[in-house]
Amino acid sequence: MLIYNYLLSGWRNINHNKLFSSINILGLAIGLAAVTLITLFVRSELSYDTFWKNADTLNRSHIVFKIPGRDPFKAVSAPGPLIHALKKDYPQVTYASRLATLSPAIKVGAETFIQKVNLVDKDFLTMFDLTSLSGDLTNALNDPHSLILTKALATKYFGQEDPIGKTLSLDYDYFQRDYKITAVIENSVPNTQLPVTALALIDENDWTERSSLFTQWFSVNAQLYFQTKNPSDLDHINATFDDFSNRNFPKLPIGGADAKASDFIELSAMNIKDLHLHAVGSGEMNERGNATRVFIFSAIAVLILIIAIINFMNLSTARASQRAKEVSLRKVMGASRTNLIFQFLGESVLVTFIALAISIGLVELALPFYNEVLNKELAINYASSDMLQITGLALLVGILGGLYPAFVLSNFRPATVLKANKSAESSASVKLRAILVVMQFAVSIGLFISTAVVYSQMQYADKMNPGFNKDNMLIVHRMGLDAVNEKMDMLVKEISKTPQVTAVTWSNETPGNTNENNTMLRLPGMSKDDALLMGQRGVGYDFFSTYEIKVLAGRTYQKERNDTPLATAKLREGVNRKSSIVLNLAAARRLGYTSAADAIGQSIFTSRGNPNENLEAELEVIGVVDDVHFDSLRATIRPEIYNLNATWSQTLSVRFNGNPDTIKANVEAIWQNAITNIPFRYSFLRQDVADMYKTEQGQAKMFAAFSGLAIFIACLGLYGLANFTATRRTKEIGIRKVMGASVFDIVKLLLWQFSKPVFIANLIAWPIAYWAMSDWLELFVYRIDNSYILLLSIIAGIGALLIAWLTVATNSISVAKANPIKALRYD
Amino acid sequence: MLKIQNLSKSYRTENVETTALNNIDIEIKKGEFIAIMGPSGCGKSTLLNTIGMLDSPTSGHYWFNDEDVANYSEAKLAKIRKHSIGFIFQSFNLIDELSVRENIELALLYHNIPSAERKERVEKVMEQVGITHRADHMPSQLSGGQQQRVAVARAVVGDQTMILADEPTGNLDTQHGHEVMEMLQELNASGKTIVMVTHSPAHAEFATRTITLLDGQVVMPDLKAVS
Repeated sequence: MLIYNYLLSGWRNINHNKLFSSINILGLAIGLAAVTLITLFVRSELSYDTFWKNADTLNRSHIVFKIPGRDPFKAVSAPGPLIHALKKDYPQVTYASRLATLSPAIKVGAETFIQKVNLVDKDFLTMFDLTSLSGDLTNALNDPHSLILTKALATKYFGQEDPIGKTLSLDYDYFQRDYKITAVIENSVPNTQLPVTALALIDENDWTERSSLFTQWFSVNAQLYFQTKNPSDLDHINATFDDFSNRNFPKLPIGGADAKASDFIELSAMNIKDLHLHAVGSGEMNERGNATRVFIFSAIAVLILIIAIINFMNLSTARASQRAKEVSLRKVMGASRTNLIFQFLGESVLVTFIALAISIGLVELALPFYNEVLNKELAINYASSDMLQITGLALLVGILGGLYPAFVLSNFRPATVLKANKSAESSASVKLRAILVVMQFAVSIGLFISTAVVYSQMQYADKMNPGFNKDNMLIVHRMGLDAVNEKMDMLVKEISKTPQVTAVTWSNETPGNTNENNTMLRLPGMSKDDALLMGQRGVGYDFFSTYEIKVLAGRTYQKERNDTPLATAKLREGVNRKSSIVLNLAAARRLGYTSAADAIGQSIFTSRGNPNENLEAELEVIGVVDDVHFDSLRATIRPEIYNLNATWSQTLSVRFNGNPDTIKANVEAIWQNAITNIPFRYSFLRQDVADMYKTEQGQAKMFAAFSGLAIFIACLGLYGLANFTATRRTKEIGIRKVMGASVFDIVKLLLWQFSKPVFIANLIAWPIAYWAMSDWLELFVYRIDNSYILLLSIIAGIGALLIAWLTVATNSISVAKANPIKALRYD
Repeated sequence: MLKIQNLSKSYRTENVETTALNNIDIEIKKGEFIAIMGPSGCGKSTLLNTIGMLDSPTSGHYWFNDEDVANYSEAKLAKIRKHSIGFIFQSFNLIDELSVRENIELALLYHNIPSAERKERVEKVMEQVGITHRADHMPSQLSGGQQQRVAVARAVVGDQTMILADEPTGNLDTQHGHEVMEMLQELNASGKTIVMVTHSPAHAEFATRTITLLDGQVVMPDLKAVS
């Protein structure tokens, strides 16, 4: 019955003071919604690959090539021979499997699909507990003609028919094979770094002409997973990996006679559960997360929760004086302190639950946008323990937020309150509230500054001249497939003739779409041991002019000048040992030339084929071009050479000056006319470049959204507080007005009162934001100056002040305008 | 000093109209000490507030120093008020967060008086009311009588010619009440015009003239009240 009375009086109280209640409930609802959204994100990030039965003993190998003179090259894939050496050297390794992703063409009826297929070793099925839907999964990869499909792919290729025993023909370009479907598995979950699609065996016999894929230690292609007997075996393997490298890697072509493999190679292994957040390097199959980001957003969630709780406490205690009389009367009627504490806690819990209901609505509204920004499929699972957790959170907030006010309110002494009929608030609680407001604003301002810095860096990346013209360029992919490449000449001619196309070129890589490919370079007179490892890219004729890359000295490749590419096969025959080469400025410097012009006409020697072949060709430097940002601003521009690809490439680049959609449609029509069995794939260079900062963009959006929320909640709190303070200061304001203060004087007084906490909040937020954001900027080799952070801090500070003023101004003005008599007479 | 003619004041709350003052005529000369008496709700405070320009009449005339201020704007009234009228309240109305000295100085803060002169005047008036030894105390540390002295000091520090006191002894015991009345009498003797609302016939005795109100009308303008 008492509970009923508490709930009733709680409900009436909410109803009675609508402004306070709505501010309180809205603030809390937004806070809870923000925390729920962030929790969904963080939980998803932390759940990657934790669900495998053997997760504790499953690991992946990683490698770092420490190349002198440039950023190290880091990869999450492994050299071809590693799997065999690992199994041989470590008895702790019980199972191991490579995981390579290829994109063969699958022809079904008249349609051709480019389908991602995962090639694995047989151990894969033992290591990873995939969910079998039909077929015999255990024996599903017993021969190289077997293929496992996910449910989605089975439906895609066979519709409602039972796919088991049916055949699919896969064309890998290099070879073609008819596979028999042996099993169907459940679709891959979103929270994994191994998003498997179709599974088939790696058979080294299929690749005899490319045996280097399995023998070459200095190139990486497939990922390597292995299982150990015990979880602790990982530490042992990591501790002994240097010795392992020195035993197994062949003599390196760099670093002189005494060089050890471990001086330049760093092998490591990581537990599968850590991959999503902690792995570093290229070659990942699924977009990776970022531990710092998870930490930052967890911190933001906690901060928003704190702000919401602070608000709640703040508004409740602010109302304490108004309810002093009620409390005193209840005490006079015989209520014990415990009774009152329970009553007030009950009220806050009630308020929290109303807020909870609203917050769930807000979360559902926000999720579609949120998922789009994060590229995820997050959802509240109402059937699981999700609701229990959210309810628990709300209960916690309600109790935490209600505890302090409950104790303050229940502690009023009836005699003092009833007799003096004045505010029963202690100066301590006034001070506490001021501190809470300062904290709220400090957090909001800090988040605001962070958002601004992230945005500025994105703007910088977008506006910065990358060294080439990224606008109006269409990239055509899949040129490297044999079926396409044989028609490259024709495609280039046809596309060049299209109206509004101004230039066409080709290359193996385009900005934002790069691979790591290196070669050894030796200056005349330099010993082979001192040779320099340098990046290389393959480009076609007119590449530099089409991309509008500045030529600093000499010239670039021209068909008319008989520039011809190096062909390893011809080198082996002993012909065509001399060729020409284009360098970037960093490479010219690395090779020791004093200027770009100085490099022209000089000779360099380069190795080709397998290291033991000792094949060398002589290259004459014909041109030096400016350094350009092929990769994101996170990476230093590496020294690199540009080889001529005369007839073969991975992509076409089409420069145009018209409507992008029309150009795309025209090029697509030409493609479809010439190539019937491979679907057209394209992109726009500008988007490719922007996509390099996808993570940052998502981060910036999240930052912006949550800092906006934090500021909004803080303002709600400030508004409530201003309202309360104005009421509390009515008497003082009345006196001042009687003494001759004008409305303006009073507004000034009140605004100043609310400016003070914002000033202090700035003092707290600035150094922290500066420290955190200058650290974040370190991620970028090319970045905005740190002094920008200060500028943005000032803007954030002024912004916060203006927002605070706007929030309290209307209230202050109406209070200042009020007739003072009432306040003084009925104090 | 001031003359009120045909003055009425009514309040409207939702659908009830209350007439607080009904066609009042009063004249107060410079140097008078007036006591306004009457039962609760007779309009004493409304009259005092109207005289103090804190409230505007609904109709009628109010000449203050030969100016008809009945229809003046709030800002204009505030200007006259701050230079000519000092207020003393029943509940003292000191600002809790300010010390005695600061509370008194507050009355000069809005007068554009240089800091040094403000200090000097505050010291002088504190001495006058005998509160110098409590200058740095907060109002909550003072007795009611002491608080009212501070309020009196605040009312006169700006050299106002008229002091309006709304039941200045209402919250005080007999002893302290008497002290405050003596102080007001001294101020009157020094030339200040004083208008005071009181319930106490004994304190009304200090005045030179008593005006008695009943239901918003002056019943005995020229006689000393009997009860």
